[in-house]
Amino acid sequence: MSELKRTALYDAHVAAGGTMVDFGGWEMPIQYPKGIVTEHLNTRKNCGIFDVSHMGRLLVEGPDRIAFLQKVLTSNVASLKMNRAQYCIIPNETGGAIDDAYLYMFEEDRLLLVVNASNTDKDLAYFDTVIGNYNCTITNMTARTASIAVQGPKSTEMLRILSGQEFITDDARNSLNILQMEGHTVWVSKTGYTGEPLGYELFVTAEDAEWLWNRLIELGGMPTGLGARDTLRLEACLPLYGHEMGVDPDEREIPIFAVPLSRFAVSFAEEKGDFVGKEALLKQSEAVKRISNKDYSDMDILPMRIAAIALKDRGVMRAGMPIYHNREMVGWLTSGTMVPYYNFEGEGEGAVQLETTGKRAIGMAYINSDIPVGEIVEVDIRGRYLEAVTVSCHMRNNKPPYAQPVLSK
Amino acid sequence: MNYPMDLKYSKSHEWVKVEGDITIIGISDFAQDALGDVVFVNLPQEGDNVTAGEPFGDVESVKAVSDLVCPVSGVVCAINEELMDSPEMLNSDPYGAWIIKVEAVTETEELLDAAAYEAFCAEEG
Repeated sequence: MSELKRTALYDAHVAAGGTMVDFGGWEMPIQYPKGIVTEHLNTRKNCGIFDVSHMGRLLVEGPDRIAFLQKVLTSNVASLKMNRAQYCIIPNETGGAIDDAYLYMFEEDRLLLVVNASNTDKDLAYFDTVIGNYNCTITNMTARTASIAVQGPKSTEMLRILSGQEFITDDARNSLNILQMEGHTVWVSKTGYTGEPLGYELFVTAEDAEWLWNRLIELGGMPTGLGARDTLRLEACLPLYGHEMGVDPDEREIPIFAVPLSRFAVSFAEEKGDFVGKEALLKQSEAVKRISNKDYSDMDILPMRIAAIALKDRGVMRAGMPIYHNREMVGWLTSGTMVPYYNFEGEGEGAVQLETTGKRAIGMAYINSDIPVGEIVEVDIRGRYLEAVTVSCHMRNNKPPYAQPVLSK
Repeated sequence: MNYPMDLKYSKSHEWVKVEGDITIIGISDFAQDALGDVVFVNLPQEGDNVTAGEPFGDVESVKAVSDLVCPVSGVVCAINEELMDSPEMLNSDPYGAWIIKVEAVTETEELLDAAAYEAFCAEEG
């Protein structure tokens, strides 16, 4: 086996008692001694800090950078403004996902593309086959830089203290800024993978990683591992490549539009022109419209979709478990576990986060597209058939500073 | 890591305490630490037969599910129902939070004393 890669924060994780595991070829902390449940809850109440330096950071430069990215990404790159980021997918010709990614415009003349750690080499090899026709270059900045996600209600205040500035970024999600913090340059993005209404991803040089990590801890940030990162993103229904994207348990390609979030990532705008997989994606987009109008006449293009699911009986759903509806198998869990939550008094605006907590078995599933939200299904949990219900979401995050759980009845 | 002297241990990391005709079973400190946060416990029912070396339930942590392997053969005479609502007791108090009690015990696996079990855990790392 090839040697595992380490981020600039490896020593800091070990010193903090992190349980280190192989994650996509990187030696990363799955959790710290406080454990996944505490780390998850702390992110929802205070602030969790996450080393995400393993993710691939690719700098795209040159006169044809926009044209190249328009070709290989699903988003409308020409619409991306200075100091903004956008979610996008790297599609293949048949409308499946090679990877999902985030594109950042911190500078006018170059773009930062962040891809999944385990897909970085695959993505670069694929880009190599396309880039020859374009006057631009891709530089892999992963080893030279570090990235720390700062997520939760207290995150903005911490960055204000570090920068000595009131203004961090515009309020809107996907806003960017470059700030000086205690003599270091920090690239700040109001994005994240936890569903927190307040949350940032910071980029620094590898040399600055330990300084930033330690200062964030001093200001109250709790080191949070990949375990809680997974439960947080699951609660927020954010897809994970290899689970909700890529191929299903039968090794069949999952169409990009099977993932509800993809509608924010795919653009058919005229200025985008032709791009990889456009024809297949147009057909998928039409199929989504039909299905959302409850027209199930043509289910060939998008027979299954990714849906949120909550267990009604006592137990825990896990990825790969089969789902039945009227005794017919209709799909599988793609992700699932038990996640903790804070109880709230009231809903939406003015809701108060209480001290008491609960936990619930939730997941995401790849199930037949004609099964609507609110339908009762059965999950085969190692031979026990337990009742679950399809839901529209597990959490709401439209009322900062707190994300609020949506509990199924 | 804590290995109470008054208990016996199985190589699948359950602890065993015999009180008269009753055998009490739980999971060790080593087991709960390896599992991480326990979020659910699947228990048998009173009256169920259990068999030495075979699963009698399972413990779910956030990360994964692990079988509970029964160190004895017999009949379940009590289950710790508190674990249904508070499975995290297995993390906070592994030797206080018993899981099942078994009576009419006909067979017991080869068990380790505290010192031997501690050495066994050290090997497993």
